[in-house]
Amino acid sequence: MLLCFVMPQVLYGTDSPVVPSPIAIVVHKGTGIEDLSLDDLRRIFLADQQFWSDRTRITLLVRAPQSDERDFVLNRIYQMTEPQFRQYWIAKMFRSEVPRGPKIVFSTNMTVELVVAIPGSISFIRADEVSDNIQVVRIDGKLPSDAGYPLK
Amino acid sequence: MGFGDIGYVSKDGTDEDGFFVGQAVAHLTASLDDSFGVFAEISLTAKDSEYSIEAERLMVKYDFSDRFKVSAGRYHTPIGYWNTAFHHGAWLQTTIIRPLIVKFGSELVPIHFVGILLEGSLPSGNLGLSYKAGFGNGRHANIARAGDAGDINGDKAWLLRLSSKPKKMFGLEFGLSYYADEVSLPASPNVDENTIAAYAVWTKESPELIFEYIHSEHELVTDSNASGDVDAWYGQIGYRLPGKYSQWKPYARIEKTDVDSSDPLLGAEGLDYDAGILGVRWDFNPYAAIKAEYRNEEFANGGRENNFALQISFVLAKL
Repeated sequence: MLLCFVMPQVLYGTDSPVVPSPIAIVVHKGTGIEDLSLDDLRRIFLADQQFWSDRTRITLLVRAPQSDERDFVLNRIYQMTEPQFRQYWIAKMFRSEVPRGPKIVFSTNMTVELVVAIPGSISFIRADEVSDNIQVVRIDGKLPSDAGYPLK
Repeated sequence: MGFGDIGYVSKDGTDEDGFFVGQAVAHLTASLDDSFGVFAEISLTAKDSEYSIEAERLMVKYDFSDRFKVSAGRYHTPIGYWNTAFHHGAWLQTTIIRPLIVKFGSELVPIHFVGILLEGSLPSGNLGLSYKAGFGNGRHANIARAGDAGDINGDKAWLLRLSSKPKKMFGLEFGLSYYADEVSLPASPNVDENTIAAYAVWTKESPELIFEYIHSEHELVTDSNASGDVDAWYGQIGYRLPGKYSQWKPYARIEKTDVDSSDPLLGAEGLDYDAGILGVRWDFNPYAAIKAEYRNEEFANGGRENNFALQISFVLAKL
């Protein structure tokens, strides 16, 4: 049963996650997106923005629970705990504000493969795992290697 | 996806204590292509001697872009906040009961709307503005219901809602809405209805703040001196506790409804109401919560009541 896969005692943990590398925001190369503000990135991750400027629908790929990358993004972009994140998306779908929730991915390789394959897709991986076939997006004008990058 | 709840209510001074099965709600959705989808919310509600089945929402929707989406069907009317934030998902809302303004079956505002709805975002920079504009059937002669089988008079209802989610204040949302209709009653002249509503919410849970206000004006079409107003509001605060107590969320709400006795639509309905509630929500499971709630309510015709309620609510979802 779907209710069984998260232990209740870890429901509302709020410790800041530690990732050994900055988180890179990556998109399908066909989007042409190279730079986003952190505010606009948040709107995309919250599905308050669902289309790119060329009217391609945005497909959001999110790592499955219990990955450091997911914990980091929930903490820094969503500013939500795991239960709040679930409730947010359940409410979003129930309000018919989105046709579906984020696609769940289970590894970096899977993330990269799907970002390459799905037009309009966006996701996040560790910056030291970026490959040439996906586009890394500057956030507030900064790449993950730059000082002051907001997703470190 | 589905929602459900089961509860227990104890009312002082009465023998009306007991368990109740709330609503069982099924959420059906299908994306027919990248932009075109169908959505339905079907409820099963326990009545005295039977269950009633209702298509609470049923719509087809086409998304052209973020700026422009169009849909047709039956909606929860986008007046104010609560009515379109939580729908029939008891688990989604912090409290057990909805505010009187948007109580299911309420006559204060039209809970449902049948017609077409245009919605989208507006170019507004950091303000994060969006709109909803609707045109459709007004209330049924039973004013608690929508005109599901057609408008009962020639005057369609229309509505407009503007809301804002400022980019720089993540968590804040506020909005204004306007609704107009001409209501036909079985044994009296038609009544013009104009409602304006405003809301402000802070959606993060520590704290959660919700404030909503509506003002309605009702006037006989045949006699502008026969008129009256409704003023109703509520304010709710909740606070998700930190650290190891974060499964717990205490909350409180106060609400007030004043209806002019001269109001030609609602004046005789005895809808004046004052209430204060205190409660706590325990999210013991990612998809279920237990809520305990004390209510002190004063009704226009029924005096003051103290109630205690317990509820377990849940969502059937996979995310």
